[in-house]
Amino acid sequence: MYGRFGLVLLALVAMLVWFLPSYYTGLLTQIGLYALVTIGLNLFMGYAGQVSLGQAAFVGIGAYTSAALAVKGHVTPWLGLIAGALVAALVAYVLSFIALRLRENLLALATLALGIVINVVFNEWEYIGGSSGFKDIPGFTLGAFAFDQRAYAILAWALVVLGIWFAGNIVRSSFGRALVAISAGELGAQTLGVDSERLKRQTFVLSAVYAGVAGAVYASSFSYIDPSSFSFLLSVQFVLMSVIGGIRSLWGAVIGAGVVVALGQVLQNVVPLVLPSARGDFQQFFLGVILIAMLILLPRGIASRFSEART
Amino acid sequence: MIAQLWQYVLAGVAAGAIYALIAAGFVLIYQVTGLINFAQGEFAMIGAMTASALATGGMPVLEAAGIAVLAAAVTGALCYVLAIRPARASTGVTLIFITLGLDVALRGLGLLVWGTNPLSLPAFSGGASVNIFGGVLSPQSIWVLVTDLLVFAALYVFFRHTHAGTAVRAAVANPPIASTFGIPLRTFAFWSFVAAAAIGGLGGVVVAPITSATYDMGLTLGLAGFVAAVLGGLDSLPGALVGGFVLGIVEKLAGGLISTGWEQGVGFLILVLVLVLRPQGLLGRAVRRA
Repeated sequence: MYGRFGLVLLALVAMLVWFLPSYYTGLLTQIGLYALVTIGLNLFMGYAGQVSLGQAAFVGIGAYTSAALAVKGHVTPWLGLIAGALVAALVAYVLSFIALRLRENLLALATLALGIVINVVFNEWEYIGGSSGFKDIPGFTLGAFAFDQRAYAILAWALVVLGIWFAGNIVRSSFGRALVAISAGELGAQTLGVDSERLKRQTFVLSAVYAGVAGAVYASSFSYIDPSSFSFLLSVQFVLMSVIGGIRSLWGAVIGAGVVVALGQVLQNVVPLVLPSARGDFQQFFLGVILIAMLILLPRGIASRFSEART
Repeated sequence: MIAQLWQYVLAGVAAGAIYALIAAGFVLIYQVTGLINFAQGEFAMIGAMTASALATGGMPVLEAAGIAVLAAAVTGALCYVLAIRPARASTGVTLIFITLGLDVALRGLGLLVWGTNPLSLPAFSGGASVNIFGGVLSPQSIWVLVTDLLVFAALYVFFRHTHAGTAVRAAVANPPIASTFGIPLRTFAFWSFVAAAAIGGLGGVVVAPITSATYDMGLTLGLAGFVAAVLGGLDSLPGALVGGFVLGIVEKLAGGLISTGWEQGVGFLILVLVLVLRPQGLLGRAVRRA
């Protein structure tokens, strides 16, 4: 079911990009990449019942790895994408030994702190551009064809479909059921023979892979990155996408990413009409209020409204 | 070299005094509700921005400071009533996300109300810098230290020598039993938010003349306050004080000896080390509900 619906969606995106103005094609790419991160995050938060407030850092690691390889070493972004995913996975693996010993409040704090430390590293490491980041990052090519906005949108959504297919298989396997058992009660899961520590680690690493891949594509498609692209606020947005779509849902990630990106656009255009003095990241006020309202009114997300309520 | 190091330490003490105030707010809320309030730093922002805006408009500094603390306290009350109480049946992760939403919303509100430009607040008093064994401490830093002293003394007296404070300690020690003795847990949760917000707001007011006030100062202050609170022990008010000073001194030493960009980074490295090696903090008891 996941596969067929995904292919239809991909075909739809591939058709849509020929009619949309390039600005909207760019937004479509952004939604796809955010959705990809949120799918990974939902595996870790929704299914395994953990928390990560530092997911933007893994997006940054993927983006920086790919950009550094392409700019400094003239490595093709295709390899950069794989390298970005691997480095993000490696960092997540190492950090998991610190972070995953903690639960709830303290896990949230630790992932938030680690995310910010990684951002400090981006800022302070002169080799990767320091606070000015990378400019003119080479794009993807396929033979002689250099990727344009349309191609990036299709690439992003192909990755989303692949990501959902893969995550869907995981969720429906014994691995996925073990994750749900962990979220229901770690001690209980352990008594049933679930190696919760290993499973949480694997899921955390997998979520970092999703984020790293999205970051690598982001770097090439926008051709510019700096540390502020991967700030704490982006991590909060991923949480919001996850909550809006439904934290224990895969297609919900796509809905959440779409709603948050669309909302950002609307706010950017409407709020200055009402409040002419508004500038900067004023959207965060609305994002925060919506996050709170969702959690109070519809804690299981939009997707829970029209998908069968299993588990 | 030694003189230089000493100056870093003094600067750290001044910074740490602020962290201790923010950390005290975390500890109050955590003790009473078991919740880590990610929006704690924003109360300081509200305090600092309100005081600076009023003082810029011509109000005397101390008057503006008083109103600012009140504004922060009201914000805290509203946060509890509008966001925390409606979700009190939720599980831990949902409540974490709600306070995270409060943090982002309050920061955005600060931006909408006061804009992006930094506002300045005059120092509370003039006078020359104080020389301590060759290091220098500005008059405003003295104000900050005195504020710390007063706040922590007041908290000590409240918890140890008043009827209400004893009731709160009972509620923290054993909520169900305290409840059967007629101790109103939910009222305490409300007042813990108000008190934490007022103390945070006060921290923002006293730091504003040193750092100037911006809408996004709450994130940095809040995170430093977390680190201080975790470092000292999330359930220990004296720990908040100690944690604040330790963090301030280590940050300024790292900033002076490595690079100022690393100030915050070092704070978080400490946080991570503490979480792994001694999650109960320096002065805390074993972590409740691990």
